Amino acid sequence: MTIGTPTVDTLENSGKRIVVDPVTRIEGHMRIEVNVDENNIIRNAVSTGTMWRGIEVILKNRDPRDAWAFTERICGVCTGTHALTSVRAVENALGITIPENANSIRNLMQLALLVHDHVVHFYHLHALDWVDVISSLSADPKATSALAQSVSDWPLSSPGYFKDVQARLRKFIESGQPGPFKNGYWGNASYKLPPEANLMVLTHYLEALDFQKEIVKIHSIFGGKNPHPNWLVGGVPCPINVDGTGGAGAINMERLNMVASVIDQLIEFNDKVYIPDIMAIGAFYKDWLYGGGLSGKNVLAYGDVPEHANDYSEANLKLPRGAIINGNLAEVHPVDHADPEQIQEFVTHSWYRYPDETKGLHPWDGVTEPHYELGPNAKGSKTNIEQLDENAKYSWIKAPRWRGHAMEVGPLARWVLGYAQNKAEFKEPVDKVLKDLGLPLSALFSTFGRTAARALESTWAGHQMRHFQNKLIASVRTGDSYTANVDKWKPETWPRMVKGVGFTEAPRGALAHWIKIKEGRIDNYQCVVPTTWNGSPRDPAGNIGAFEAALLDMPMSDPAQPLEILRTIHSFDPCLACSTH
Amino acid sequence: MALHAKKAVGRLSVHVYDAPVRIWHWVNAFSILTLALTGYFIGSPLTSVSGEASANYLMGRIRFIHFAAAQILTVLLILRVYWVFVGGVHARQIFYMPIWSGRFWKEWSHEVRWYMFMGRQPRKHPGHNPLARFTMFLMFTLPLFFMVITGFALYSDGAGRDSWEYVLFGWVFSIWPNSQDIHTDHHLGMWVILIFAIVHIYVVVREDIMSSQSIISSMFSGERLSKDMED
Amino acid sequence: MATAETFYDVIRRQGITRRSFTKFCSLTAASLGLGPGAANAMAEALQTRQRVPVIWMHGLECTCCSESFIRSAHPLVKDVVLSMISLDYDEMIMAAAGHQAEAILGETRAKYKGKYILAVEGNPPLNEDGMYCIAGGRPFVEKLRWMAEDAMAVIAWGTCAASGCVQAAKPNPTRATPVDKVIHGKPIIKVPGCPPIAEVMTGVLTFIITFDKLPELDRQGRPKMFYSQRVHDKCYRRPHFDAGQFVEEWDDEGARKGYCLYKTGCKGPTTYNACSTVRWNGGVSFPIQSGHGCIGCSEQGFWDQGSFYDRLTNVEQFGIEANADKIGLTAAGVVGGAITAHAAATVIKRVTTKREKTEAQHGQETPS
Ligand code: HEM
Ligand code: HEM
Ligand code: NFV
Ligand code: SF4
Ligand code: SF4
Ligand code: F3S
Ligand SMILES: [Mg+2]
Repeated sequence: MTIGTPTVDTLENSGKRIVVDPVTRIEGHMRIEVNVDENNIIRNAVSTGTMWRGIEVILKNRDPRDAWAFTERICGVCTGTHALTSVRAVENALGITIPENANSIRNLMQLALLVHDHVVHFYHLHALDWVDVISSLSADPKATSALAQSVSDWPLSSPGYFKDVQARLRKFIESGQPGPFKNGYWGNASYKLPPEANLMVLTHYLEALDFQKEIVKIHSIFGGKNPHPNWLVGGVPCPINVDGTGGAGAINMERLNMVASVIDQLIEFNDKVYIPDIMAIGAFYKDWLYGGGLSGKNVLAYGDVPEHANDYSEANLKLPRGAIINGNLAEVHPVDHADPEQIQEFVTHSWYRYPDETKGLHPWDGVTEPHYELGPNAKGSKTNIEQLDENAKYSWIKAPRWRGHAMEVGPLARWVLGYAQNKAEFKEPVDKVLKDLGLPLSALFSTFGRTAARALESTWAGHQMRHFQNKLIASVRTGDSYTANVDKWKPETWPRMVKGVGFTEAPRGALAHWIKIKEGRIDNYQCVVPTTWNGSPRDPAGNIGAFEAALLDMPMSDPAQPLEILRTIHSFDPCLACSTH
Repeated sequence: MALHAKKAVGRLSVHVYDAPVRIWHWVNAFSILTLALTGYFIGSPLTSVSGEASANYLMGRIRFIHFAAAQILTVLLILRVYWVFVGGVHARQIFYMPIWSGRFWKEWSHEVRWYMFMGRQPRKHPGHNPLARFTMFLMFTLPLFFMVITGFALYSDGAGRDSWEYVLFGWVFSIWPNSQDIHTDHHLGMWVILIFAIVHIYVVVREDIMSSQSIISSMFSGERLSKDMED
Repeated sequence: MATAETFYDVIRRQGITRRSFTKFCSLTAASLGLGPGAANAMAEALQTRQRVPVIWMHGLECTCCSESFIRSAHPLVKDVVLSMISLDYDEMIMAAAGHQAEAILGETRAKYKGKYILAVEGNPPLNEDGMYCIAGGRPFVEKLRWMAEDAMAVIAWGTCAASGCVQAAKPNPTRATPVDKVIHGKPIIKVPGCPPIAEVMTGVLTFIITFDKLPELDRQGRPKMFYSQRVHDKCYRRPHFDAGQFVEEWDDEGARKGYCLYKTGCKGPTTYNACSTVRWNGGVSFPIQSGHGCIGCSEQGFWDQGSFYDRLTNVEQFGIEANADKIGLTAAGVVGGAITAHAAATVIKRVTTKREKTEAQHGQETPS
């Protein structure tokens, strides 16, 4: 099963050019241009990150202990994952170890983010690509109830309940002020759910909106707030005091009980709402398996969720790590962040300048120097882009490559890796979904596969949370309530010049920060982010990025309505603030 | 002023510092030292005390002393400003600089030369010499107003948006919207005044010894004695 | 077009009783710190009015203001969107994209001239002709100005829109600019925070639609009701501050007892926000309660106040950075040194002058 990675040679630039700008229901600003042939099949795809803030530039010369707060603001959706990556990078550079309890707490926060981000992504950013809001108004509440009860024993599923929700939606839409539902692509032939399934998922859209705010209470407990909880180089800022003076103001029994209760709720929500909804969608979209792109070819993950503190080796990480090239699932390559030959970023097609743009730079030597210019074949003007010239620079996203390959990262990449590594906790759920839907393994490499992997991961994460919650309590029971290591807190204790790298598996995929520290200050800071990988433009060798690859060969039922483009692009859960930072 | 200076040479003693100025000087000096000490500990607090919070009030007390000294300093500063208008010519000296007067700058450079060991004799001045006046105005008078203004602005942070402090000094936040900046500038202001105080004390002691007029005792008695006449 | 539905219609039809509706109003009013009279006014408003159109725009930002907004516990954001406002444009959640999305802007501008609220999250960059943030192929700032022209009022969400936030931190490579510097002649309500508290956001919005007026603003354009006191003024650790009891080091005895975080850099004393009263995520906690100092995230330029862990701000002076005490002590040291040297020179000079004098006198005395 060896498939070549798509390059520009496979693209067909004739046909009609369609522009989608803004791409909505994503984080940040993005533009897509595609060419469709006479059969409305996409033959060329151009994805562009249309924002840049310069966080890497802003970080220069700052105190490395503050970097987490700056990088956390790269994104408020995957809030916290950049902060965790950052404190890991600083700890790696300075040789700081963290207490075991801090590791459990960080994992709880990271996993809570995973669940939160996946739930919000599916229901609030992605569901309307599969669910027709208008169709739900013609659903029979009784039949909806029957459907819901056949897939799950979630208590909110009586006919009366669905009737009320439907009535509320109807009034809302008929009020003439349909808010976010206005101008949607309702009735498009690519919508395939029956009205009852539409109503069921839409009802859960509203429930998920209520519920998501509970999940993040875990961040609030350990980090004081969400979005943007607080972190600390050397551990976590929240002290534990379960049995002493002043315990009421620290992590105590009441706090731990709240964490436990949130975990119980989210496990239930995943099992009884999220997964059944995904299965319902899968059942009706079985024949719509487009959007595989790089997923069956090149995938990359760094791994995350260390069982024990301070050990970031593959064996200690609960999420898989490795790279698969050219669809060869039989071989998982090891990934080394420090190897200058492995991860490199190119800017030939990005709005940045390098001294030599034919070469990529390893992030430790990375350069971020903005340089906006349109190519000679672009249409419009500098401040009014009508059509981009993808042969020149065309995006604020850099192009990261692993040993020269464009890679897909994210939940699907992780689950493909776990599958390829024969890890039962990844392989079995995947096989079960495929079996229940009657689909072959190849179906995994699709828009739907990405969406399904995310749901499976949400469930997986919930159970891991319970594990680390128990582990934290077991540790405190032994009398260990240590949460921060301050041995090297003071910059006076640091070497004059060091470098380090920190990585996580962010909700959207492999994330790493590379740092160089000189005389107590940040000398260089480079982030290579999941959406930098997925949304990357082309490289000098002509390899196209994951977004672009996924759009190829996908038919559109009505080129005036970019529904399929949105569906496939959304399956990556793009985050543009992340991608360009 | 020139007239005064001429006359002074001929007389044994001349009245320079009115009683209110003298009282102000010493209360002011004491308040500033108190403010600097307490201010320093507001910025860098002492090591934590143990026991119940309700049984301790160390930081509260330090801040209270700062604010009390600040009120005293402010009230006296207001009186001192009043005295600028009703007091003698010397009472006015450090509140403005005659930068337009050529003579001022001539005498100023004479003093500078004297301190750089280039002049043989300091001129006699019944009040402050122009260099002293210059330094006091720049490093004391202006900074002191700055401290009072920023101090009350900071105070209004705690006193609240409905307080008279905010009504009078809230405009400071239009210049520095983040009150952390005001803390920093208020803190830097302390160092300007402290450095002034160090130089000032050195100079008055030195002048007392070196020059031919009374210096330190003048701040007690108000009279400037010409030592030449005593000789 | 069917007649516009009100919030009251909606919840009554859902089988919610008049009584629980009234209860909802009083809870919401209470969460805003308002009296029982206000609850009646709110009930009245929700029963009769058409939903106010809101256009929610995103500039350079991280979207955590939107994320915060959806965390609102009272009112639930579901109820805000379905029944209180008409969120006609918000790239983050709207179904339409591309042309279909952009079309809504022009439509709203024409149909609700002077009647819609323009909510802005993030800010426009001005460098590179605004092309660090591109929307529909054009600079975001153009779209922002264009939609502001016919808005009733502008809400600047978060520290980004209110004062620039992280992308405007030094050296601000894109010249990210707060909203009030590019929109003029419109009331602008700044709701700072990185992000602002969810219930503060929905509180400001529901205040406007309930009382049919804009909230009273302070000198800096922030609603007085949520931004007129410092985190420090209402911090539950304040008794430890007054007592002089501080966390000296992370996870020390003081940290476990909940001492004041002043020495670990807490910016509560200079930060105007409602965190210590309203708290976060349905009142679960706020930064200080979870052991980390306030970093001052609702304050202008909070990124450029030196390390978050230093009590005294670093001041950049002659290329090196030091805090006020280091600068002051250094200067005092230099001055002290100069004084010592000057004193020494004075003594030498005096001794030599005396000798000269004496010699001169001797000379006079000596008969030639
Ligand atoms: C020469 C006179 C003064 C000196 C040397 C002085 C010095 C200081 C210093 C060093 C600080 C600490 C600043 C920091 O790092 O946060 C401070 C704080 C403060 N000062 Fe002053 N100050 C003076 C006058 C005043 C006046 C006139 C007021 C008026 C009320 C005042 C009110 C305050 C307040 C409110 C604070 C902040 C206290 C806190 O944050 O708890 N100061 N002062
Ligand atoms: C041991 C301490 C001090 C001594 C012996 C002392 C002595 C004197 C003397 C002798 C004068 C008159 C100088 C002249 O005629 O040119 C004077 C003036 C003055 N001193 Fe001090 N001083 C002391 C501390 C301070 C301090 C701490 C400050 C404030 C930071 C201060 C501020 C002033 C000011 C502002 C004047 C000018 C008064 C006026 O003209 O209104 N002094 N001092
Ligand atoms: N891409 C991305 Fe993120 C994630 N997940 C971060 O690293 O979303 Ni804003
Ligand atoms: S103010 Fe802060 S939280 Fe809001 S968008 Fe800006 S960076 Fe994000
Ligand atoms: S923890 Fe911060 S806000 Fe609270 S009392 Fe201490 S300094 Fe003030
Ligand atoms: S950091 Fe921000 S969230 Fe509140 S406590 Fe401080 S203002
Ligand atoms: Mg980067």
